[in-house]
Amino acid sequence: MDSVAQRLSAVGAGAALELRGVTRLFGALAALTDVTITVRPGERRAVLGSNGAGKTTLFNCITGDFPPSSGTIRFFGEDVTHFPPYERIRRGLRRTYQISALFPGLTVQDNVYLACRGVSRGRFSFLRPGQNDALMHAADNLVQAVHLAGVKDQPVAELAHGQQRQLEIALALAGAPRFVLFDEPAAGLSPTERQELVEILTSLPAHIGYIIIEHDMDVALRVVESVTMMHNGRIFKEGLPQEIESDPEVQELYLGGGHE
Amino acid sequence: MSVTHDTRVQVRPATAQRPALRGWPEINNPAAWIVASILLIMPLIANGFFLIEIFATTLILGTMALSLMLLAGYAGMVSLMQLTIAGFAAYMVAVFGVSGNANISLGWPWWLAVPMALALATIFGTLGGALAVRTEGIYTIMITLAIGAAFYYFTNQNWAIFNGHTGINTVATPHFWGVDWRADIPFYYIVLAVAALCYFAVEYVSRAPFGLTLQGVRDNPRRMAALGFNVNAHRVAAYAVASFIAALAGVLQVWNYRQISPGSVSVGACIDVLIIAVVGGITRPIGPYIGALIFVLLRTFALDFLVKIGLDGNRFRLLIGLGFLAIVFWSSDGVIGLWQRWRQSQRPAANRAGGGGRGHG
Amino acid sequence: MTRFVERHPAWALIVIIAIALALWLIFAVWPPGLEDAIGRKRVFLNAVFNGITLGGLYFLVASGFTLIFGLMRNVNLAHGSLYLFGGYVGYAISASTGSWILSFIIAFILTALVGVLLQVIVFRRMEGQDLRQTMVTIGLSIVFADLMLWACGGDFYQIQTPNWLIGPIELPLITAIKSSGEPVYLRYPLVRLVIFAASVVIGVAMWLALNRTRMGMIIRAGVDDRDILAATGVRIQVVFVLVFALGAGLAGIAGVVGGTFQSLSPGEDIRFLLASLVVVIVGGMGSIPGAALGALIIGLAEQLGSVYIPTYAIVVTFLIMVVVLALRPQGLLARR
Repeated sequence: MDSVAQRLSAVGAGAALELRGVTRLFGALAALTDVTITVRPGERRAVLGSNGAGKTTLFNCITGDFPPSSGTIRFFGEDVTHFPPYERIRRGLRRTYQISALFPGLTVQDNVYLACRGVSRGRFSFLRPGQNDALMHAADNLVQAVHLAGVKDQPVAELAHGQQRQLEIALALAGAPRFVLFDEPAAGLSPTERQELVEILTSLPAHIGYIIIEHDMDVALRVVESVTMMHNGRIFKEGLPQEIESDPEVQELYLGGGHE
Repeated sequence: MSVTHDTRVQVRPATAQRPALRGWPEINNPAAWIVASILLIMPLIANGFFLIEIFATTLILGTMALSLMLLAGYAGMVSLMQLTIAGFAAYMVAVFGVSGNANISLGWPWWLAVPMALALATIFGTLGGALAVRTEGIYTIMITLAIGAAFYYFTNQNWAIFNGHTGINTVATPHFWGVDWRADIPFYYIVLAVAALCYFAVEYVSRAPFGLTLQGVRDNPRRMAALGFNVNAHRVAAYAVASFIAALAGVLQVWNYRQISPGSVSVGACIDVLIIAVVGGITRPIGPYIGALIFVLLRTFALDFLVKIGLDGNRFRLLIGLGFLAIVFWSSDGVIGLWQRWRQSQRPAANRAGGGGRGHG
Repeated sequence: MTRFVERHPAWALIVIIAIALALWLIFAVWPPGLEDAIGRKRVFLNAVFNGITLGGLYFLVASGFTLIFGLMRNVNLAHGSLYLFGGYVGYAISASTGSWILSFIIAFILTALVGVLLQVIVFRRMEGQDLRQTMVTIGLSIVFADLMLWACGGDFYQIQTPNWLIGPIELPLITAIKSSGEPVYLRYPLVRLVIFAASVVIGVAMWLALNRTRMGMIIRAGVDDRDILAATGVRIQVVFVLVFALGAGLAGIAGVVGGTFQSLSPGEDIRFLLASLVVVIVGGMGSIPGAALGALIIGLAEQLGSVYIPTYAIVVTFLIMVVVLALRPQGLLARR
């Protein structure tokens, strides 16, 4: 590890997210090899890399969608390596998916309400929410925050692509997130929609840290303070955005390795 | 982006219907009120045969199929063991209660035997569900079918508890407050009350967190886990609720026929419950009851009908099978779906844009 | 195999001990105490042989089922109907021509043809909709069952065993020692042994075809990852039709075997559908060796169960399924 990475991980014990030697195998294929990352609480970081670099696998290991084959994952000091995904989520971890993972049979409001319900009590409640249900209000606010109030009673299957991407983000912000993983939130968005996305990300409360996978450098570098570069399932480089952007090796790899 | 959804809002009528999160959709529907009143005054209209053989039987089968609708329509799990759970409850009523087979039946009063049967059948169904949720998707059908078939062969084989292939006969039915509750009219009202209770409970729960969660699990289990839900726990809970509903129907079933034998829990009968639910439509609680009515009418009158048009009267199952195939081919939502499509084609084009947002799935 | 031993030494030890015990029970002359405890050795050996040969029959039915599911994700709940159809065809041929061998050939061809028609006319239209396909197979099983009831009635049919296979043969397995010191050997029906040998041959041939031929490689690749199939540029529909024909044809052959072993009647379709379900759940979906192992386990469990605990025999079969689902939900020999 170079000095920049050491500098970034120097915060050590108080880390929001700490991966040590995480490896993930699919059969004989290693999608991730010995990945070690430390992220401070509130830190905002981009993960860059060409397709197949292991970025989404990294997210899947962190959330437990696919548990790592070896290595440990700590979330705010707690070893969550062997936790099922829902236990990690209940501790304040959130994620979005590269391909929208929504509930097409339900309305926008119900989607967000489920997200709020998932990180609170009463998940098995048989009682319909009443007039002054706190989670209903929370869901309303969240729908508002991602500019979907106008379509909140529409089934998700009928939404436009951009709206689905916004809902995707709303689902990840329900409850009290402490750390969010954004998997290509800008994929397929128009320039105006990208601008809105940047606004949503930059207006998140300062204590919420995140990692964002983003091909669009314009988006990525405007919303993060540090960058991790991945290649072939390994950490290739870590540093500040400017350092990474101007790094000749990165430029060769990234621009040569098929951008987008 | 804001432009896109602004236009969408404009397309929708100003009084866009809010999905009934808190209210009951039926309250504003005159057809529902008419059906409810007809069902209530049915004993004035129909004689004993129609009252029990057609309507009570429909409501009992419909309630069994409702338990499958809850699992398949909301939670996306097609279980073929719902009849087995009902049959298990029926056997337990016969085993714990009073019957003609004194060497088997324990002779408990009905108010002890029935809760016992309900509890055991719910546990049975929940355990079966816990087994089925260990695999995904289409495996559910196979595992639940295997459970149903195993139970059928077991009841045939076992004489100590299930009395082999003869089953348990002359099962006692409740008498209290001076009323014979198995007499046609009281029994009809018991069946109607239980069916209505189950129907409204499922309808209500579908918009409560429990029901919404199941629909989320149906649409995208992985995302549900990533929202903090223990997906398998919700699936098993769905099996528990569905098992209880099926068990209620099973108790009514054994009171209706006053006997229970392996023939009532055969694999064919298990599949009939699926046929009823699918033919009626598995996206809404009313579907199973419509399916059950069609099924019971066909079963009762197909023989006469087939003979009348010059065919072999024994080909009832062929008719059921072909009808089922036709529904599967042409409508993913049973006859409800066909009905809605017909209604939509009748409606003037202008209204259609607004109606689109209501039906889900 | 070595990987299994490395990963689960305890399980491997249990399996080895169980196999050793089974071999000892089969080959050793039983000490008197044991015969007093669990009955005559002849009864035990007969149950074991019945179980193994029944396993051979189950394998024939289940291998087609598992192949169709593995490649097309089609849970063919009409598979039992194909079995019964094959049996009836076999009976008709053997009764009219007297040729047992010919009945196999015709039964295979006709059921395979039904399979082809089903795939071409019905299932091709709903590819990828596994639930809908399963519903269709349920509807078809009802229709087929009623049509066969219409055509053949509710009687029991048994296919005539050919003369050259009638009668028992003596096997070199000692069941008891007479007081004169002369050993008594096990006598077992020849036809069951021949049929079992044939199902082993069919199983090995299928395994070789899947592992050694180009078409087999394509099918196996398709079972593991369906997207690969499209990428290889093979005409996927042709592969599907062939596999459906083979799977259905195997069920037809099994019907003739079942009609010779046991008997044919309405309801047998459900019995063999259930057997296929349990066999592939235990053995592992889409795996031919898994179907073989599952068939052996279920056949033995059924026969030994019906000898030693007659009123709970089905529970044993069912418990095996439950235990497998609890410990290894994907089945014993499935990849995933």
